Parts: sequence; C-alpha cells; structure tokens
Amino acid sequence: MIDLIHVTKRFGATTAVDDISLSVAQGELCVLVGTSGCGKSTTLRMINRLIEHSDGEIHIDGQQIRAFREETLRRRMGYAIQSTGLFPHWTVARNIGLVPRLLKWPQARIRERVEELMTLLGLPVSEFADKYPRQLSGGQAQRVGVARALAADPDILLMDEPFGALDPITRETLQEELRALQGRLHKTIVFVTHDMDEALRLADRLVVMDQGRIKQQGHPLELLREPADAFVESLLGGEDRGLKEAALLPVSERMLPLSPRLLARERVAHDASLREALSIMLWRHAERLTVVDDEDLPIGELSLRRLVGAKAHE
Amino acid sequence: MSEAIAKARAGRAWWVPAVWGALLLAACLGMGALEGLFRWVEPDSRAVIYARADFLTLLGRHLLVVGVAALAAVAIGVGAAVAVTRRAGRDFLPLVAQLASIGQTFPPVAVLALAVPVLGFGTLPIIVALLLYGLLPIVRNTLAGIEGIDPGVREAARGMGMTGGQLLRQVELPLAAPVILAGIRTSVTINIATAAIGATVGASNLGDPIISGIVNGNTAYVLQGALLIGLLALTVDSVFARLQPAGPR
Ligand SMILES: Nc1ncnc2c1ncn2[C@@H]1O[C@H](COP(=O)(O)OP(=O)(O)OP(=O)(O)O)[C@@H](O)[C@H]1O
Ligand SMILES: [Mg+2]
Repeated sequence: MIDLIHVTKRFGATTAVDDISLSVAQGELCVLVGTSGCGKSTTLRMINRLIEHSDGEIHIDGQQIRAFREETLRRRMGYAIQSTGLFPHWTVARNIGLVPRLLKWPQARIRERVEELMTLLGLPVSEFADKYPRQLSGGQAQRVGVARALAADPDILLMDEPFGALDPITRETLQEELRALQGRLHKTIVFVTHDMDEALRLADRLVVMDQGRIKQQGHPLELLREPADAFVESLLGGEDRGLKEAALLPVSERMLPLSPRLLARERVAHDASLREALSIMLWRHAERLTVVDDEDLPIGELSLRRLVGAKAHE
Repeated sequence: MSEAIAKARAGRAWWVPAVWGALLLAACLGMGALEGLFRWVEPDSRAVIYARADFLTLLGRHLLVVGVAALAAVAIGVGAAVAVTRRAGRDFLPLVAQLASIGQTFPPVAVLALAVPVLGFGTLPIIVALLLYGLLPIVRNTLAGIEGIDPGVREAARGMGMTGGQLLRQVELPLAAPVILAGIRTSVTINIATAAIGATVGASNLGDPIISGIVNGNTAYVLQGALLIGLLALTVDSVFARLQPAGPR
C-alpha cells in the first residue's frame, strides 16, 4: 500500500511534480500516463527515494518512507527500468539474484529462487543462467530486468517503461505475463508507460498526469467514459476511444444465450474483447457471431446490433 | 570470428612477456658478448662495456623506483578519481582533472631540479617526479572508466538497494577496470623511460650508462642503457597486455 499525500518535487526553479495525492491499494496495478516530461518518472523515483521529495509525505504501509534507511526501503521494492540496467559483467543468474544476495539469503535459497523466477518468466535455466546481458535480445533482457525486480519477493514493484523499446508482439506477450503474474502474486505495482494501449490493458487504476499534476485518476473505463477535460480525452485516444473501450470489455459481457436459430458460421472466443469481435465481423462481413467457450463449444451468440447498441445505452 | 579469437588469445599468451623478459636478462648478464659490436660503434674508447655497476643491479634499482612511483600513483590517482565521482566530491572533479594535467605538463627534469634542494640527492626526488608525471593517465582513465558506465546500470544498482561501497566495489570498479588498467599501463611504460633522468641526481639505475656515456662521449654506453630500458619497457608492456581483457565488453 502506497500513499502520496500532497507531494511536490522541485528541481531548482522548475516544479517537476506539483502537489499530487495518490493512493495505491495492496494488490492494485496503478499506471501513470502523460506527455513526456510531465513528472511520471520523478513520481516513481520519489517512492524509492532515488529522488527525495521536496514537500508532502509518502507512506508505505502507513509508515513514512523517510523512517527507513534508503537501502532497506529499496530492497523491499522491486525496480525495473526501460534500459534494464543489467550489470554487464554478471551472468543472468547473478543479476537476478542481486537483491537476495544484498539481503544475505543463503546461497542455496538464492539459486532456487533464481531458477524459479527464470522459469516463471520463460527463460529456460539451462539456456540462459550463464549468459551475459550482451548475449540477450531486447525482450530477453527486459524479462531478466523484471525477474530481478521480483527476486526478493517484494510487495511493491516500481516499473518505469519496462517494456519500452520492444516490438509490439513481444510487448504484448510481456504485458499478458505481467497481468497473469499480478493475478497470482498480488503485488502493488506502479507502472509508467507512454503506450496508451498498454496502460488501458494493464491498469486497475489509471492516473493521467500533465505538467506535474494529476489531471484525473480512476478505472480505465471510468476515464474513457467520462474524461475530466479535453486533455484527458485526447490523451486517451480522442475519436478512437470507442475502440479502446471495446478492447477492455469481454465478449461474454454482451453475448446473448443461444437462440433457436441456426448457429452463425463465424465464431469468437468468450474471453475475446468486443474489439476483436467487431474486427471479425468487419473482416468476415458477418452480423452475427457464435460465442464459444475454451473447449470450442457454442455457449451464446453476439450480434452487431447488440455489440454496438448495448454500448450506446451504457 | 575464430581468427579474431585466436588473435586475442595470442595477445594474451604468457610467452610474449616471457620472451622479452628472457632477452632483457640475457642482455643484462651477457652484454660482454656484444663487445665486438660496441667496439665497432666506439673504436676510440678504451672500455666499450659499461662496468661501473653490474646491469642486473641497475635493473633492480630501476624497477624499484618505477614500481614505488607507480604504486603511489595508482593509490593517489585511483583514489582521487573515485573520490570526485562520489556525490559528495563532485564539486572537485574539474579541479582534480586539471591538477593531473598540470602534473604531466610540468617537465620531470624541472620537478627534479625543484625536489633535490628539498629532498636531497638520491632516489626520493626521482620517485616524486615520476609519481607526478604518471598521475595523469591514471586519473584520466579512472574518471573515463567510471563516467563511461551506462547510467542505467548505476540507477538500477542504487534502485535495488546497493550501498555506495557496494556500488563502487561490485559494479563501478570491475566495469572500469580495463580502462583503469590501460591508464596504469601508459603511466608505467612512460615512466620506465623517464626514470633514466634519475641518474642525474644520483639515483643509480639503467639511466647511469646513458648519462655517463653522454658525459664521457661514449656512444656505446648510451646504446647499452637505451637497449636495456627499451627491453624493460617491452617486457612490462607485454605483461600489461596479457593482463588486459581481450576485448571491449
Ligand atoms: N535530476 C533532475 N534535475 C533537474 N530537472 C529534472 C531532473 N529530473 C527530472 N527533471 C525535470 O522534471 C520534469 C519531469 O521529469 P520526468 O523524468 O519525471 O518526466 P517523465 O514524465 O518521466 O517524462 P518521460 O515520459 O519523457 O520519461 C522534466 O521537466 C525534467 O526536465
Ligand atoms: Mg520518464
């Protein structure tokens, strides 16, 4: 649990972060978005005291962060950054084991934990443990970065564009993995990104920042449906907002029970998004889709009218 | 690719310094065997092989002076560079970089001239002169090595909760080591040659035959000193080449 209470950061004359208040609950994934230079990284780095805040208070589980020794505080939080910051002279395994080693875990437990994490992040131990960072692809390096952040099993994860500079497919894979990981481990995560689709896909709480201030925060659907002002609206995609919202809603939310009519030929998975369903309709020139479950058995149907109509009513 | 690796391996072989070292020792012990050659160079002199002290002793003293100066230069140079790259010492970075440059532009001969009245004749003034002269490459390379580390690595190290000391010992120094070593190598190699001037203030070393040859107009002596100093420089340089990691990381 992280609380920022009227926090301000000034660098000389410039105010990078201006009186922000933000509360991230245990197990919540909070995403910070905003234009370049609006203070996202500064906000993140104040939480682990890489940057000291000028005013206000920051609390972790109800305790002021200044009550901790800097190093103690940071070892309790995972930290992953876009450039990964992997140590080039250490192997992958050693890089991942960094924080457990700082915390003086016994050797055997570190090895066990490193192997567990490598498996979790899809890095086969036999193949990657002894590689050096320069031998990794960008995506592999960022996985190692995330594994290192998770190593000491911290309750809090701070991630600054951890999937930046990746191709869309690898990026999406890592996003799905992070979501799945979050579902299992219930970390409190603060995540910074430039990519609005990434933000919408990941966020439990979306925070829009502009010039050091928080413009609006809430569930992504809330912000899409009721943007506080033109800035939030355009940042969230302007005219594309309809599609972005559809991307967040599962087919199961709009589907109707199977009717006695003939099954439609085109199918869509029940956990696909409405956006995917719409795309199938456009592509196949179909007005009706059969919704199928994980076993590919029909469980309902979705019509174009229902898809767009239901949305219009909400 | 395999060719490059083979080349790198060859550069890292111990036989290179071993050969230079053997040649150096052979030249020290068996200079007499070349008497014919030196007689031809210097037909008018009575003696053509420098004999006031034996070459092995001179070599030992030469090494001692250079070694002590190098150790002191490493301690001071690396220490100063590390200090000014810490947060608390940042303000002194330009000052230290400048002092080190001045140390090298100041001619060692002038340092000797100034040091002798204070420290007396002998090995001490030459050690001071070499120390000052050798500081720049070490300071400069240590600064470059530490500053050249990817800022993301430093941010991650701090963000993960490393202390300043852990960051320095486990990350910064190991990553900067190849560059620092290159600086030490330059410093020591230059000083092996520069140490010869110590002979002018009574620090007897491999410079003795050279100075004595110049004073007495005996080119053979000068050649013998130069040959030994050259071989010593090559030996030491090849040892450093062996120590240096094969390529950039
Ligand atoms: N160490 C610093 N010293 C002075 N100014 C700084 C420092 N760090 C950040 N700033 C300023 O604070 C403001 C916010 O920077 P910050 O890095 O938080 O932006 P950001 O939202 O992360 O941007 P980006 O999306 O480009 O990463 C910027 O105007 C920046 O110039
Ligand atoms: Mg940033």
